[in-house]
Amino acid sequence: MLKRIRHRIMHRLQLRESWLIFFIMGIIMMNFPFLHIFNKSDTLFGYPLMFLYFTVGWAISIFVIYLFTLAIRQSADERHGPKEP
Amino acid sequence: MNSGFASAALIALLYTLLIFLIAWYAHHRKTIGRSIVGNPYVYTLSIAVYCTSWTFYGSVGKAATTGIDFLMIYLGPSLTAFSWFFLLRRIIQISKENNITSIADFISLRYGKSLWLGALVTLIAILGIMPYIALQIKAVSTSFYLISGFQGDSFHIPHGGSDLNVPSGLLLALILSLFGVMFGARRLVSSERHEGLIAAVAFESLVKLISILGVGAFVTYRLFDGFSDIFTRFQAAYPANFARLFTLGSENISPEAIPSFTMLFLSMCAIMLLPRQFHVMVIENSDERHITKAMWMFPVYLFLINLFVMPIALGGILSTGSSRGADFFVISVPLATGHSDIAMLAFLGGISAAAGMVIVESVAISTMLLNHIFMPVIVRFTPQAWFPLLLINLKRLGIFLVIFLGYFYYRIVGDSFMLVNMGMISFSAAAQFLPAMLGALYWRRGNRTGAISGMLLGFLTWFYTLLIPSFSHSGWISKELLSSGPFGIELLKPTEMFGLTGMDMWSHSLFWSMLFNISGYIICSILLHQDERERDQIHKFIGVFEYERRQQHRNEGKRLSKPVTITQFVSLMTKFIGESDAQRAIDTYRGGRELDANGNISEFELPNLKRFTEKSLAGSVGAAAAGAIVDSFLSDMGSRMESVYDIFSTVRTSLDQSREALFVRLKASEIINRTLDLQIIMDDLLTLLIKEFKLDVAIIQLASQNGQFTVRSYQGSNRRPINDQHWFMESRPYWEMTLADRKAHFVNDARLASTAITLEKTLAEGIVSCAHIPIFREGEPALGVISVFSKSITGLFTEEFISLLASLAGQFAQAVTIVHEIDAREFERVQKEQALLQNARVMRDMEIAQQIQMSLLPAAPPEMAGIEIGGCCISAAHVGGDYYDFFLRDEHTIDMLIADVSGHSVGAALIMSEVRTLLRAQVNSSHNASSILMSLNNQLYDDLTRAELFITMFYAKYNSATGKLSYANAGHNHPMICRMGQDSCIELDAEGLIIGVKQSVVFEERVIELYKGDVLLFYTDGLTEASNSEGEMFQNSRVCSQLGSISHLPVKDIIDSFYNKVIEFTGSTTLQDDISIVVLKIL
Repeated sequence: MLKRIRHRIMHRLQLRESWLIFFIMGIIMMNFPFLHIFNKSDTLFGYPLMFLYFTVGWAISIFVIYLFTLAIRQSADERHGPKEP
Repeated sequence: MNSGFASAALIALLYTLLIFLIAWYAHHRKTIGRSIVGNPYVYTLSIAVYCTSWTFYGSVGKAATTGIDFLMIYLGPSLTAFSWFFLLRRIIQISKENNITSIADFISLRYGKSLWLGALVTLIAILGIMPYIALQIKAVSTSFYLISGFQGDSFHIPHGGSDLNVPSGLLLALILSLFGVMFGARRLVSSERHEGLIAAVAFESLVKLISILGVGAFVTYRLFDGFSDIFTRFQAAYPANFARLFTLGSENISPEAIPSFTMLFLSMCAIMLLPRQFHVMVIENSDERHITKAMWMFPVYLFLINLFVMPIALGGILSTGSSRGADFFVISVPLATGHSDIAMLAFLGGISAAAGMVIVESVAISTMLLNHIFMPVIVRFTPQAWFPLLLINLKRLGIFLVIFLGYFYYRIVGDSFMLVNMGMISFSAAAQFLPAMLGALYWRRGNRTGAISGMLLGFLTWFYTLLIPSFSHSGWISKELLSSGPFGIELLKPTEMFGLTGMDMWSHSLFWSMLFNISGYIICSILLHQDERERDQIHKFIGVFEYERRQQHRNEGKRLSKPVTITQFVSLMTKFIGESDAQRAIDTYRGGRELDANGNISEFELPNLKRFTEKSLAGSVGAAAAGAIVDSFLSDMGSRMESVYDIFSTVRTSLDQSREALFVRLKASEIINRTLDLQIIMDDLLTLLIKEFKLDVAIIQLASQNGQFTVRSYQGSNRRPINDQHWFMESRPYWEMTLADRKAHFVNDARLASTAITLEKTLAEGIVSCAHIPIFREGEPALGVISVFSKSITGLFTEEFISLLASLAGQFAQAVTIVHEIDAREFERVQKEQALLQNARVMRDMEIAQQIQMSLLPAAPPEMAGIEIGGCCISAAHVGGDYYDFFLRDEHTIDMLIADVSGHSVGAALIMSEVRTLLRAQVNSSHNASSILMSLNNQLYDDLTRAELFITMFYAKYNSATGKLSYANAGHNHPMICRMGQDSCIELDAEGLIIGVKQSVVFEERVIELYKGDVLLFYTDGLTEASNSEGEMFQNSRVCSQLGSISHLPVKDIIDSFYNKVIEFTGSTTLQDDISIVVLKIL
């Protein structure tokens, strides 16, 4: 089950459209009005809200890129066949 | 000079040595073929040259003064990394394909190798990068003061009697320049990867990351108790500041603050467009597969390097009490707390960050400077042997120039800006490349004029709205310009153009420069056309993935008007890149290509060689300059690139055949199959060629029966009869060659035809190119030649065109062969017909002869009392030599004769008629049979000897009054008498030779008395010698018995019954020989 979900996600990530969507989403999230949500001087567990938003958001975006690169590798493997048995 | 200074200098020196060692080691590993930099990790670290001392010091300063928005500078590149798999990969592929050396090279190549565009990009890069380098110099020298505790602006070096004051910044600039020269300008070839440089940069990236993580961990966990501790304490101490630093776009905007969007946009551009980023990401990329790893590892690097920036900034404010000097909290905080070792680590990190950036930047820009500013000037001079030396030193000079420009900017602008804000000026300059760059990759219509005008407008706007104000900030340019505009024109105030107020200067500049840049680019691109050089490049940039596939088909579309040899190209390359490099380049080119006996390549291959030479040169001097070098070299040689008239449009079908070519083939086969009339085929075919391919004259020569080649069809303009004075005869050597080797021979430019064969008259006709194509079937000798001539297009005859013509000639050869075969068959048929006709005519003649001959025989037997007489002759052939006749002398006497001329020819018939004439004449003079025969023999002897014929004859005379028959025989068959009551027949014989054997012969004359009821039968040998299918003859015995059995019948019936009997006997209606029968019945 997990494997199937993983496979489907990988497959979707190979589409050029998914790249574009995530890229545009990134730009939107870096701008107002989205930023406005976190544009407060409150803290959460002692961390400023904006600091948390950027740090966690950034980490997530890096993880998404990482998923993309996995998808690329998988599609390359599918095209050329697995290198190792 | 205190100890702090000494130790700082010593550590810096040792560190420098280490860097050099690493660079040397990497270079060494490369030379032995085991590169240590060819992996995605080093690639990622080298991209991290993006983090300069701006990141290292400036981020903290920015965080401490304006807050968390400093992160935008790093979030932008993180976002851009999403696009790398498409964008960066494509740029790398294009650059590798074309030996691109820099971003200026890349942009100018796309827009038709424009020298102006390359120069403009270089100019923007040099001026734009000035503040950036200044930033590094400022950061390093400031940090040096801090770490060494050294005060003042310059070092005092004892020099003879007086002290020499050397400003520390100048010293630093010098050292950095030397660094740059040693790492980046050891060799001229700039498209080659600098592994030493990359190893050093990657190592420095590692050092700066470790350094800032170290400082961050120290501040966060040693001075404070973790992140939340810093935040909580800061919030408690400075609640107002806390709110300001952790929110964006708060109301109290300082003039220094830059909106987050501007920073995001600029940083997204900068990561791709800064010359040094382009250099490490594209030029120094060793494998495009490294991109996928770098895509997430580089953001991770940025994430880590920024993780502790906020805590350090807040910690710095907390420990120093204010945000003054926040740019250098990284050093000052550890120093203030007495941890000089941590401060030294930070100092090393700062040096690493600055040095890496300056080296790569200066190398990248000096390459651009050399290739796009110096080279266009140099190529105007004749290449000299010392050029390679000059070029490399110019490149080194470029590095000094770039760094010292930065130094002077630092001297002028100095401390009036924060580090980050200085850097933003450079980012804004780099952003001016964006429209042209994106257009280069994705917009086909984007043209050179658009790129130049857009970039120039953007650059001028940037210069006016950002660079000039930055000078005036420092007081170098009067403040009045800023406050009241030039000449007091408020609308033109640099920071409030056209009355646009309320914007910070960076956003303001970005808005106007991008507006002018993009509109200039788009408007000019739409209004104006691309020239041919640009169109050549577009397919290399747009659709690069298909490009590789298409490379296999050579479709250069260009030709050299005058052939140039490989050696000439090599000597050209030697002058620019040195002999060994040139030789190596040409060796790789030669491998796998067919060369002719002289070591040269075919005319079709020459454009590829030219392109290869350009590409090799481009690796050192840039594409634009390489193009200019090769072009000027060719024009010196009297050769140039000219467009091949593309008879095939670019639309190609899957068969790699253009529609036009297929159309022509189709038309040609229609023409060829429509008729068997060669003349029509030839005329139509040539007309088709002339019409479809813009030819002017076309001629077909074919071999005639005797093997001579003659012009059979001649189509085209101003035709004149072909004779020895005709201009076409000048091409005789070509078509004779074509006939001999059955290969097409062509002259693509008649003016440059070899000296051995002059084409003066042809040229005088206005003809500029011609081709001669053999007409032949595989494995057979040539049947003829098709010659085509063009008056308008030199270089018409491409490989494809020639092969098309050859295939048409092949089709035509098939047709010629078929027509020849049909002709031969037709000829044979006509001959046969003629023979038949002839035969029929002869037959008819013979029939006529036969009729005449028959008419010479007595039409009806004479009437005489007491006898019944009758005769008949049936010839086997149409004419025959049989003859019988009767002469009624008086009422009692009748002469009868039967004769047979040997043979059945017309000759026999003629002789027979002669015999008849002679006999008729003699009948009245001679009276007895023997004398008649004798005189006949005398008269005929000569004629018969000549004709090699002879005659047998039996002559008889019957007197009814006496009942006596006197007769003489000249070798004829013995007539028979059937007498009533006798079983056997009486044969009549008399001595005598055949007529025509001897001159004079005496014939015996005998007499026999006939009685009533006797039937006398005269016959020719056709009767007795008639044979049946078993070869048995009719024989005298059968004649006799037949005669006996029918003697009672009337004469006519006797004759008929003999004929019937013979037919019955032989079993055939056609006779083998003439049969003549004469019957006399005594009543």
